[in-house]
Amino acid sequence: MTTFLIILGYIALLLSLGVFSTRLLKRSSGDYFLASRGIGPFMLLMSIFGTTMTAFALVGSTGRSFEKGIGVYGLMASWSGIIHSACFFLIGARVWALGKKHGYVTQLSFFRDRYRSDALVLLLFPLMVGFVIIYILMGVVGSGRIIEALTPEVRAMRHVTTEVVLTETPANLDIPESWQERLRYDPATSTLSLDGSIHPKRRGELYRMNGVPPTPAWRAAIDDLAGRAPTGAIPYWAGMGFISLVVLFYVFFGGMRATAWANTFQTIVFMVMGVIAFLVIMGKLGGPVAATEKLLGSDAAVRATRGGDQIHKLQFLTYCFIPLSVGMFPHLFQHWLTARKASNFKLTVVAHPLCIAITWVPCILVGMWAAAELPATTNPNSVLGIMVARHANDVLSGLIGAGILAAIMSSMDSQFLCLGSLFTNDIVVRYGRAFGLAEITDRSRVILGRAFVLAMVVITYFIGLTQPGGVFPIGVWCFTGFASLFPIAVAAIYWKRSNKWGAMASVVVVAVLWLYFLPDAFGGEFLIAGMMPVTVILAASTVTLIVVTLATPPPERGIVEKFFPDGGARRAVDLSE
Amino acid sequence: MKPLVIVLLIALCVLHHDVWWWDTPRPLVFGFVPIGLAWHAGISVAAGVVWWLAIKFCWPSELAESEDAQAPEAGSKNGEDAR
Repeated sequence: MTTFLIILGYIALLLSLGVFSTRLLKRSSGDYFLASRGIGPFMLLMSIFGTTMTAFALVGSTGRSFEKGIGVYGLMASWSGIIHSACFFLIGARVWALGKKHGYVTQLSFFRDRYRSDALVLLLFPLMVGFVIIYILMGVVGSGRIIEALTPEVRAMRHVTTEVVLTETPANLDIPESWQERLRYDPATSTLSLDGSIHPKRRGELYRMNGVPPTPAWRAAIDDLAGRAPTGAIPYWAGMGFISLVVLFYVFFGGMRATAWANTFQTIVFMVMGVIAFLVIMGKLGGPVAATEKLLGSDAAVRATRGGDQIHKLQFLTYCFIPLSVGMFPHLFQHWLTARKASNFKLTVVAHPLCIAITWVPCILVGMWAAAELPATTNPNSVLGIMVARHANDVLSGLIGAGILAAIMSSMDSQFLCLGSLFTNDIVVRYGRAFGLAEITDRSRVILGRAFVLAMVVITYFIGLTQPGGVFPIGVWCFTGFASLFPIAVAAIYWKRSNKWGAMASVVVVAVLWLYFLPDAFGGEFLIAGMMPVTVILAASTVTLIVVTLATPPPERGIVEKFFPDGGARRAVDLSE
Repeated sequence: MKPLVIVLLIALCVLHHDVWWWDTPRPLVFGFVPIGLAWHAGISVAAGVVWWLAIKFCWPSELAESEDAQAPEAGSKNGEDAR
């Protein structure tokens, strides 16, 4: 119960922060969407870092290290340290300067102006909204599962009996005495029946009742039983809804200002909690040296390397393209525009790789050590929770639970706000006249933005109810889509000759290939010739951009003069001749 | 200095692909961090240093100039006036 109360206390604190920042909100869309472009260096760092780090930074990194070994750090963290900062330096700061000069609020308004194309925006809008919804889905699903796992166990609904018919006779079934009152197996009918509810954290005990490791048939039967029985905790659907409402609350009432404040607070919380969890677990394992030696003396020693079949070398190399996605995240684009001045980016560029190391190294070590502690059949997403539950008290479990939710919410808030911005600024304001919305007041923009966000969150919530597969494949495929669009951002800023035809063709190629590979991507780890699929889609999008651009007329002189004032116009005209 | 920063960034990307420590956990840095993990933690720290050199010596001068420019009201133009 203590764990749950601490999480509730944390959420109350977050809501208070939302209410407090509301008082600072100036009633204008410029303040609501961009915090009046007044964010300083530290808040910019925290809000950008918090936005790029999802639940994966704590839960996923520990679980993947347990499953795939230490190479997960090189795969995701150290590549991100190099590539993310490159994007902030080469794209972010320049976008900020253009945004300040021309008054952009969203990524799409920048692309519309740079490429002078409504068609490009109408192509990009559904794609961007779709990708962001998938990104939000990661957070919504993750928060539902975490709340379910962290809430105290309740033995409820004893009158309900759930039954499952086994397809394979359990050879080693041994139901412990503590379970015999509720769980029965009838050999005559091959039926396993359970009275009352079952907490998700008990699933592991059921797996082990028929020997370790469990057979696939037994595992499937337990998953079926636990999936249909009442849940002795706050249900997944309620946890998802609760966290979505909390984030909606402070985004609706405080806009970007509240989002930036909440991000700063939550980023500090999840970084500190990750380090505390590491120190406590390390101490309980007898110190770091003993924990590593225990691993190296176990069957799971390979987790301290990248050897075996854990990570392929080409996969390790081509993962570098995934972090390019930050260059196209529309919510991050909006954060860039909030900076008070370009030099505020300097701290973010330098400190981002270090913040990644502070957050990821402890989690990777805990995941690696857990391989010598837990059975290989343990659900990777539960590894951090189990290690904390085993080695920490309820207070610490609550604080770490709050840290995990902080990591999730610090990304969701920016995504919610960004959806509202894209809809109002790029669709309603632009095309409203065609639907009888002649004059849209500043206040109406904010209200319409909120209504659109609410609609999208409801859609995401219902998708979440279908319990889509693992959070990891969802995330990687979402990032693949964003990263594959990266060439149009680079071309917009650095290639004077780039035009709307090339950009549109590139977007179409990305959309087609992304949808084509979608079923494979959600089916588990998916590589093309040993490479991350982003390599293929990014290459296709880049080649298309270049070929179509060169095969079509150059951009108008006015565009080149506006975006490349240092003599670029002359060069663009020369190219056309 | 700019060419040096570019060379260092390329070097970071090359050093990232440390196939030479692919299959071994040893030596253990500080007695408990497998060399493969320590190497990549070092890459993160080195990235921070190289990016510090980049902002110190390669920060675009036009960005400093743009800080002095007056910003239009957010969303008021979106470039439409330039058409």
